[in-house]
Amino acid sequence: MTFYFGDILPYLPLLLQALWVSIYVTLIGFAVGSVAGVLISLARSSRARILRTAAGGYIEIFRNTPLLVQLYLIFFGLGQVGINLDPLWSAVLGLTLNNAAYTAEIFRAGFESVPSGLREAGSALGMSSVQTFRYVVLKPAVRNVLPSLTNQLIVLFLFSSVGSVISLNELTSVLSDINSQTQRTLEVFTYGAVLYYLTSVVIAMSSRVAEKTLFRW
Amino acid sequence: MSGGFAQYLPPLLRGTELTLMLVAVSGVVGTVLGLVFGMARIGPLAPLRWVAAVYINFLRGQPVLIILLFIYFALPLLFPAATFNRGVTAIVALSVYAGAYMAEIFRGSIEAVPKGQEEAAEALGMGYLLKFRYVILPQAMKVAVPPAIGFLISLVKASALVSVIGFIELTKAGRIISTINEEPLQTFLIVAVLYFIVSYPISLLGRWYERRLA
Repeated sequence: MTFYFGDILPYLPLLLQALWVSIYVTLIGFAVGSVAGVLISLARSSRARILRTAAGGYIEIFRNTPLLVQLYLIFFGLGQVGINLDPLWSAVLGLTLNNAAYTAEIFRAGFESVPSGLREAGSALGMSSVQTFRYVVLKPAVRNVLPSLTNQLIVLFLFSSVGSVISLNELTSVLSDINSQTQRTLEVFTYGAVLYYLTSVVIAMSSRVAEKTLFRW
Repeated sequence: MSGGFAQYLPPLLRGTELTLMLVAVSGVVGTVLGLVFGMARIGPLAPLRWVAAVYINFLRGQPVLIILLFIYFALPLLFPAATFNRGVTAIVALSVYAGAYMAEIFRGSIEAVPKGQEEAAEALGMGYLLKFRYVILPQAMKVAVPPAIGFLISLVKASALVSVIGFIELTKAGRIISTINEEPLQTFLIVAVLYFIVSYPISLLGRWYERRLA
């Protein structure tokens, strides 16, 4: 058994491009999904019972079924009723819906962690409930759950590899292609593992930087 | 939709059974691995600490799919003895994955036990193993249960990925059926319901336990 990483070097640009696809779908899924997550978590604690039930149902359904099955439903299932999404948008939609359910629970914990005195102070200053939420509650709530959000972002990035199953050309799928072309199995998957690992380390480090710069007061 | 879905239910239920089997076996093996690596990670021996840290940190930065494909395709090239069939590959991959996450859960709960407990055990003249077995572990386990149950749900969902190497559990069964009946929407909705039936009671159990603890 000899290691020879040279054979893979010409494929490095291809691998980096594939890594970018992984990062790209993850970032869109995380950004849009997190905004949806905030809305769902607000609905979850709303006074209207129907909103509470709908939000609770959404969260439970998406948290208790595999992402792969969700992607199959979007990619193959929606096609059956005439909605044909390509692999890229199927993956983005799947990651977004999935991430919304997880971040909704994270944000709920975050909003509950903000002392009610802050909310009362906001309304004492004559702010509307929307203003209180936006200018008083949101920032400390997000800061309190930043570690959980970072974890969720890393998990989402790792699970973007599931996109390979619906033939999205992200890192895992391209690794399999290069593996069958070069037969350098061990080396190909070592490159892949290192790329996934380094990216998740970079995400964790950026979060620590964000904590120190964005949330200073 | 002639004949309805009734004819497809038995293979889907068989798939559910295999999913449960995968989760049960890799859950148990993963918990043992997690306990060993979690203890090694904060144990007194530095080399063991490093090995455990590499295992935990590296694997937690890997997608389940990569772990699975690595064990299926690449590992036999490194160690010819490690050539497994699909079922064993699935169990090994899910166990190794679970081990890394469970190790972090155990590490966290062991560290959550107040320092005074350890010191009291030492004052009583207990050795490392005795202290661990009778003082630290029982208290740590209580803290570890809710996150461990949370991870068990992740494991149920991650087990769907072993369909990629062709092991016929619930997701793969659904995939095969959907190509036969050409009704992926209904088929995967049933698959999703079956996963929900497996996973939701576990979430309820976790919530019940947490409420009891509080």
